[in-house]
Amino acid sequence: MRLTENIEKFIRSRKPHTVTGSDTDRRILHDSFAAMDETIHAKSADAKPNTCKVIVQSRMTKIAAAAVIVVVIGFAVHQVSREQTDGQTPSEATKSPAEMLTYASLTVAYRQGGFEEVEKQCEQAFELLGPRPEALSPQQLLAEFNGS
Amino acid sequence: MVEDRILVWKFNRGAKDALKRIYEKYKDDLLGLAVTLLRDRSVAEDVVHDVFVSFARSCGAFRLSGTLKGYLSTCVANEARDRNRLRSGRDAALDAAEAVSSYSAGPAEHAMGCEESDKLHELLGRLPYEQREIIVLHLHHGMRFREIAKVLRVSINTVQSRYRYGLDKLRSIVNGEVTK
Repeated sequence: MRLTENIEKFIRSRKPHTVTGSDTDRRILHDSFAAMDETIHAKSADAKPNTCKVIVQSRMTKIAAAAVIVVVIGFAVHQVSREQTDGQTPSEATKSPAEMLTYASLTVAYRQGGFEEVEKQCEQAFELLGPRPEALSPQQLLAEFNGS
Repeated sequence: MVEDRILVWKFNRGAKDALKRIYEKYKDDLLGLAVTLLRDRSVAEDVVHDVFVSFARSCGAFRLSGTLKGYLSTCVANEARDRNRLRSGRDAALDAAEAVSSYSAGPAEHAMGCEESDKLHELLGRLPYEQREIIVLHLHHGMRFREIAKVLRVSINTVQSRYRYGLDKLRSIVNGEVTK
């Protein structure tokens, strides 16, 4: 029989033609539109700008946010260290008055800023040493510096 | 298809006309699939209803990877399978004759209905659901075995063997009727 031999062809050619009723159409479309409206309203309520969500959603914003954080931290660290050393020369921050008046230290100061820098470093060293006693003679002062 | 892509694009932007057009374009095919699978028109209509409501809820976030018809057919097949599982527990002894009578929309459609189509529907109704599902999806909706396997979450070999067993059973039923 043709049907048994060509069962696949038979099934393919007899695709059922089912037509929906108008009531069904109305019901399905009505409910679908209602569901669509609900979804749109829910989304518009959730659509308030949320910075965290925006950053998390995109890879580019994540990278940009990370870069901004790194820059801010770097800038803050720089500012803090600058405030700490503000008004002080590097030699002052690290050296004692005796070290500031050594030949090597004064040579470095000369290379950095000439005689003005040498003079400034000397003044700072003397300020750190404190006021000189009135009775102290230049010989005694030199003797103190020479360590004898 | 380009038209479907445009409709989906509009649908995602909240155009109800696009949803209506999609429904009108595929409703008969989807209802036909559901009726063939479930053999109960009212349940089949509920299945199509649920699929479209669920589809409408995906507005704004729907991403089409294959064809729209394939996607909706898959949804209907999945929903029909769930309904069939629920129903099989309740009324497993559904009479084939009753099922055929509920296939048509009404007397007018029944009168117009082709005798061979009714015959086919009755034959398909005698197959187990798993075999009927694969035969209908493959032969009526043009889905490939690989696609069906993905939808059903079974291996392609299982799909092919169910298809083969289904056709063999149909042949034997027809042969049995012929030799009577």
